Amino acid sequence: MAQGASFPYEQVAEIGGGAYGTVYKARDVESGKFVALKSVRVQTDQDGLPISTVREVALLKRLEQFDHPNVVRLMDVCAIQRTDQETKVTLVFEHVDQDLKTYLEKAPVPGLPPDRIKDLMRQLLCGLGFLHSNRVMHRDLKPENILVTSQGQVKLADFGLARIYSCHMALTPVVVTLWYRPPEVLLRSSYATPVDIWSTGCIFAEMFRRKPLFCGESEADQLGKIFEVIGLPSEEEWPKDVTISRKHFPPLFPRPITDFVPEMDEQGAELMLEMLTFDPLKRISALNALEHEYLKEEETPDTERESVAVP
Amino acid sequence: MTLEDDLASAAATGNTAGVEDLLRKGADVNGVNKYGRTPLQVMMMGSTAVARLLLTRGSRPNVADRSTGTTPLHDAAREGFLDTVKILLEFSANPVAVDNSNCQPVDLARERGYGDVVAFLESL
Ligand SMILES: Nc1ncnc2c1ncn2[C@@H]1O[C@H](COP(=O)(O)OP(=O)(O)OP(=O)(O)O)[C@@H](O)[C@H]1O
Ligand SMILES: [Mg+2]
Repeated sequence: MAQGASFPYEQVAEIGGGAYGTVYKARDVESGKFVALKSVRVQTDQDGLPISTVREVALLKRLEQFDHPNVVRLMDVCAIQRTDQETKVTLVFEHVDQDLKTYLEKAPVPGLPPDRIKDLMRQLLCGLGFLHSNRVMHRDLKPENILVTSQGQVKLADFGLARIYSCHMALTPVVVTLWYRPPEVLLRSSYATPVDIWSTGCIFAEMFRRKPLFCGESEADQLGKIFEVIGLPSEEEWPKDVTISRKHFPPLFPRPITDFVPEMDEQGAELMLEMLTFDPLKRISALNALEHEYLKEEETPDTERESVAVP
Repeated sequence: MTLEDDLASAAATGNTAGVEDLLRKGADVNGVNKYGRTPLQVMMMGSTAVARLLLTRGSRPNVADRSTGTTPLHDAAREGFLDTVKILLEFSANPVAVDNSNCQPVDLARERGYGDVVAFLESL
C-alpha cells in the first residue's frame, strides 16, 4: 500500500456518506481525470492493519488483475496512519460520470429500446457473474451504484467493501433504500450471492417501467409490496429462523409480472420471474441468467452489433 | 455543511430535484463548496438535466479547476458526453479553453477516441 507522502488526488465534492465514512469525487491532478475516493478508518495495533482488512484489500487487488470490463477499476490503495490506534485506508477507484438512474431518466420517451435493455442486462450480469465467481457479493445493488459510461458500458461500483466496513466500524444508523432488497434480507434470514440477483431483477423491471418496482416504506411494507406481485410464499418456503411471521401477510396469489412490467417479451418476463424468486436457493444465478434464452447472443454480423452504442 | 456544499453534492450525484430544491432555498449557483468548486465544475457529467438546470440559473460555464485548469467542457469532452458538451456550448462555454497541460477539450476527446465529440468540436 502506498504511504501518505504523494497523494495526487484533490477532493472536489462529497458524493456519498455511508455508515463507515464518506465517498468523494476527486481529481487526479497528474492525469486531470476524476476518481472516486472511499476511505475507511481502521483500528491498528503494534502489528499494523488488522489481518481481515489486509485480506479484503488483497482480494480487491486480485479481482483488479482480471481487468473486468463491467466493474470499476481500482487504481490505488493508500494507507495513512492517523494515530497509533487508527489508520485511514483510502481506495481510489476510476470515476464514471453517469449512473444508471441518470441514464434511465435521460432516455427519451417511451424509454430505452428493448435491445438496449438487453445489452445493459447482459453487461450487468456479466459483472455480477464475475464478482460471484470470486465469492464477492455486492449487497447494495441499485441504479445509483451501477455506472454507465458515455459509450453505454456498464460498470459496477461499490462492491466488495461491505466486509471491510462491517468489520471495523461502529455502524452508525443510516437510511438505506429498501427497494432492491430481497426477502431473505428483509426477513433477516441468512443470505449470500442470490441477494444481488434479486436486486438485478428489480432493476431489470425498472428499465422498462422507468420507475422502481417495489417502493416500500418499511421492511414489512416492502415485503407486502413484493407479495402483491409474486404472491405469498407457502408455509414450506418461509424461512424457519425468522421473527416476522408469515401470518402477518394477507394470502395473495401471484399476479402476471407483465401487469407490472408492460412491453416486455415472454422470454424477458420468464427471466425476470426467475430472478424475483422468493427462495434464494431456487433463484437463478448470474451465470445461468446469461445462458437464458432472453439473453443469448443472436448471430448477428459484426456490423450490426451495437453492444456499446448509445441510444 | 453549507447550502453550497449540499448543492455541489447534489450536482455531483446527478440529483436534479435536489439541485432545484437547494437553489430554491437560496444556494448560490456560482458559490463554491468547501473544496473551492462550483456545482457545474463537479456535476455528474452525464446528467444533462443537472447541466441544463445549473446553466439556466446562471452558472458560469468557464470556471477552471484551480489546480489543473480544467473547465467543465474539458471534463465533458474527456468523458465523451456529447449531449453535455452541446449544452455547455449553448451557454457559451469556451470551446478552445486550454488547461494547464495546454490541452483544449477536443484534444482530450481525441485522446480517448470519442470521434463524435471530436467531430462536433471541430465543426464549430
Ligand atoms: N467509481 C465511482 N464513480 C462514480 N461514482 C461513484 C463511484 N463509486 C460510487 N459512486 C457514486 O457515489 C455514490 C455513493 O457511493 P457509495 O454507494 O459507495 O456510498 P455509500 O455511502 O455506500 O452510499 P449508499 O449506501 O447509498 O450506497 C454511489 O451511489 C455512486 O453513485
Ligand atoms: Mg453504497
